Amino acid sequence: MKHIRLQINGVWRTGWANPGQTLLDFLREELNCTEVKKGCGKGDCGACTVIMNGISIDSCLTLALQAEGAEIITAKGLGTKDNPHPLQEAFIEKGAFQCGFCTPGMILSAKALLDKNPKPNREEIRRGLSGNICRCTGYRKIEEAVASASERSSNQSDDRELKDQ
Amino acid sequence: MEPLKYIGKRIPEIYAWAKVTGEAPFTDDLRLPGLLFGKILRSPHAHARIRSINTSRALELPGVVTVMTGTDTPGIKYVAQISDMYPLAIDKVRYVGDPVAAVAAETEEIAEEALALIEVDYEPLPAVFDPCEALLDGAPLIHEDRINNLVLNMKRDFGNVDEGFAQSDRVFEDQFSTQAVPHCNMEPRSSAAWKNPDGVLQIWTGTQSPYFVRKEVAHVCNLPISSVQVMEVHCGGGFGSRSKYCEDEGVTALLAIRSGRPVRITFTREEEMTTTRIRHPFILRIKTGVKLDGTLMAREMQVIVDKGAYCHYGPAVTGYAAGTAASSYRIPHFRFNGDIVYTNKQAGGPFRGFGAPQAIFAIESQLDEIAEVLGIDPLELRVKNANRSGDLTPCGWAITTCGLEECLEKVSQAINWKERQKGPKEGRYRQGKGLATAIHVSGSNVFPDGEFSAIELKMFIDGRVSVYKGSGDTGTWANTVITQIVAEELQLPMESIRLISMDTETTPQSLGSFASRVAFEDGNAAKMAAAQLKTFLLESAAAALQVSMDALFLQDGMIVYREDPSKTLSYGDSVFRSPRTVGHILTSAYHYVPPTVRLTPKGYANVSAAYAFSAQGAEVVVDTQTGEIQVKRLVVAQDVGKALNPIAVEGQIEGALAQGMGYALTEELIVDRTTGKVITDCLDRIMLPTAMDIPDESIFLVETQDPEGPYGAKGVGEIGLNPTAAAIANAIYDAVGFRPHKLPIKAEEVYFFLHPEKR
Ligand code: FES
Ligand code: FES
Repeated sequence: MKHIRLQINGVWRTGWANPGQTLLDFLREELNCTEVKKGCGKGDCGACTVIMNGISIDSCLTLALQAEGAEIITAKGLGTKDNPHPLQEAFIEKGAFQCGFCTPGMILSAKALLDKNPKPNREEIRRGLSGNICRCTGYRKIEEAVASASERSSNQSDDRELKDQ
Repeated sequence: MEPLKYIGKRIPEIYAWAKVTGEAPFTDDLRLPGLLFGKILRSPHAHARIRSINTSRALELPGVVTVMTGTDTPGIKYVAQISDMYPLAIDKVRYVGDPVAAVAAETEEIAEEALALIEVDYEPLPAVFDPCEALLDGAPLIHEDRINNLVLNMKRDFGNVDEGFAQSDRVFEDQFSTQAVPHCNMEPRSSAAWKNPDGVLQIWTGTQSPYFVRKEVAHVCNLPISSVQVMEVHCGGGFGSRSKYCEDEGVTALLAIRSGRPVRITFTREEEMTTTRIRHPFILRIKTGVKLDGTLMAREMQVIVDKGAYCHYGPAVTGYAAGTAASSYRIPHFRFNGDIVYTNKQAGGPFRGFGAPQAIFAIESQLDEIAEVLGIDPLELRVKNANRSGDLTPCGWAITTCGLEECLEKVSQAINWKERQKGPKEGRYRQGKGLATAIHVSGSNVFPDGEFSAIELKMFIDGRVSVYKGSGDTGTWANTVITQIVAEELQLPMESIRLISMDTETTPQSLGSFASRVAFEDGNAAKMAAAQLKTFLLESAAAALQVSMDALFLQDGMIVYREDPSKTLSYGDSVFRSPRTVGHILTSAYHYVPPTVRLTPKGYANVSAAYAFSAQGAEVVVDTQTGEIQVKRLVVAQDVGKALNPIAVEGQIEGALAQGMGYALTEELIVDRTTGKVITDCLDRIMLPTAMDIPDESIFLVETQDPEGPYGAKGVGEIGLNPTAAAIANAIYDAVGFRPHKLPIKAEEVYFFLHPEKR
């Protein structure tokens, strides 16, 4: 057992991790971050996606020990109800989820995509989401939501630029 | 009539915020004090007798709280349709994965370690994996009481089929087969249970049908039904896999009782894929007689249903395939023969479509053959024989409203059917177009449990309402749609309504979320319960304001006097004053029984109060050098009656299309024919569609306003998948002349067809 320290959604947390424990199990079982979902535990579904130090990863393929000192973002940390993230707004408005099990991971993959490429085309969106399986929606509304979030964010930054001027 | 304010609107899901943040709790997210982790030991053999089980080493492992084998349980089999399975095997194991023993331990790791310490002495028996071989004399017997491994033979005979064939100008005979598919819900199955201090066994499980779970768990635990309570929790996808009961709940409950502590079993992805109830593989022989002008005269279907090791809901699935085959297009005479056959494999169960996709693949593929031989356009042939409003199908389905013709018209226009290039195509990449249709129930009266939905409403003195709904919501937005209905009837904002579902202690019993029934049946119950509550409110307000009831109307939480809108009473005050109010709560409930008839043993009955229709068009491109098939476009026109929430309806259709495309081309549960082990045991091998695979899609919602449906709505959950594979298959034939007789349609088969010399 090793005591590790890491930031989750901006808050420092600590917990005990086994040497072989995955970051996913550590987050869920030790820190109760149950918004990170386990769909396969093998890197096949993307439900466990988190953003670690700016990069989206499958937390089931990462060891907890590797996250020592890391900054982790989960779906819960993207926004608040009063100040939602554009992706959260877009997912809600477009109805880009059904059961919601894939959604936290899907949103984080979309965020990682938009962080790198704020105006992805359709092909790029699809590629960006291709590691996340959704069995419910058929992906169409997810794709629309990501496109709409990308527009929303660029409008918001345009607004900001206008205000700055 | 006032325009609708909540119905037909693109209203967000009621759990939206909880879902985008990941906070909506699924079973595995619950943190129960003192929770133990349960694991199931499963058979490595496809067929074996259990000589003995030694659990002593496992019990000695520190951290193990209990180890349980079949003989430690009450030894009662699940009810199902034919009672043939123990929660833990007692005498024999019948497939690789059959539950043999279970452990509850302080951690998951210890539970897993303990499994490895359980010693089971098996006497391996010969196994049989092919249903046709299983039917032969001398084949290994999987259940000793079933001769030739025949679970049962199902016959249907409507009209006079022989006469129908005699009157036909041509008779077509073809054979098709379909594969096994696991549902692949993204949430692996999970259930938690504990016996609370009052002696009530409480269970959390993502289910479509809590009352089926309660019934089965109480049965195998030998408890009265009322001492089992299924609790509300989110469910990560149903698609039929959780539509009745899943065998994990029984084992979890038994472990909880035995250990005296809360226990949770969460399946690994591998368990989810290799041990849950999958889509049944069918072998279908179909014979259809037609007149030269294309009029369908008679149809005969013979199916062999590969049941796997246990019966579960196989007969219902087979019966529904028969109903679909009798009712797809106008057919005066119909005969069906179904052999449901045990094999030493993972058992089948309900899966979106419930036997219809298998039947429709055969019917629609053959219909294209018929069109070609008779020289009739496939669209015309379909329109000519399409069901119409007012039809009574040979098996007794009374079609009140039918938008099939309009659906076909819309689809054929959207894919430019009439302008398509007919006949053989040229070049390496060849395009093709295909059509298929489906009919589907909105709820189906086939179970002895009854066919009904009930909704209870409670309005409090703050004017807010709680809705109590017995069926689950597996992510279909059913709870949102029910909330919309209550909002509409009571003219109350969505935010003022809270919905409590699937808690068997507090919600009135409903059959469950399957057979495309919730929006229709729970919807009607909600609408009528709310209409009644509205009357109560008006009645109480009329007395308070000293005006007549008809002079009042409801508006966003206020009851308003039409003549003088300054005269109002809040809903809360009305509740407070109503003589019907008990303990400051005004209650209204409605038990909806659809005007249907229970399915008879002969298979004749009007099982549903409304039938939905769908036409689909597929456009594919086939690479003649590799055989690779690409679906370019899917077009759907669906008779939904009335779209209660278009986002939800489109979502159901889009999700169904992706599953239908996977069914057509990639998804297949493959079993090793020597060991019986599932080869496709992870998501990586089952090849579900990803975001990259989704074609262009166009969806048209045809609203026929069904007279019995709430606001005219029909069921929408399943039908979107039913014709997809057939439409794709027909498009492939149109592209390259290859007629798929087997699902999934593999590139190599297309390739060998195009390059026979390479075979
Ligand atoms: S749980 Fe990590 S990819 Fe599936
Ligand atoms: S919404 Fe259910 S898996 Fe994506």
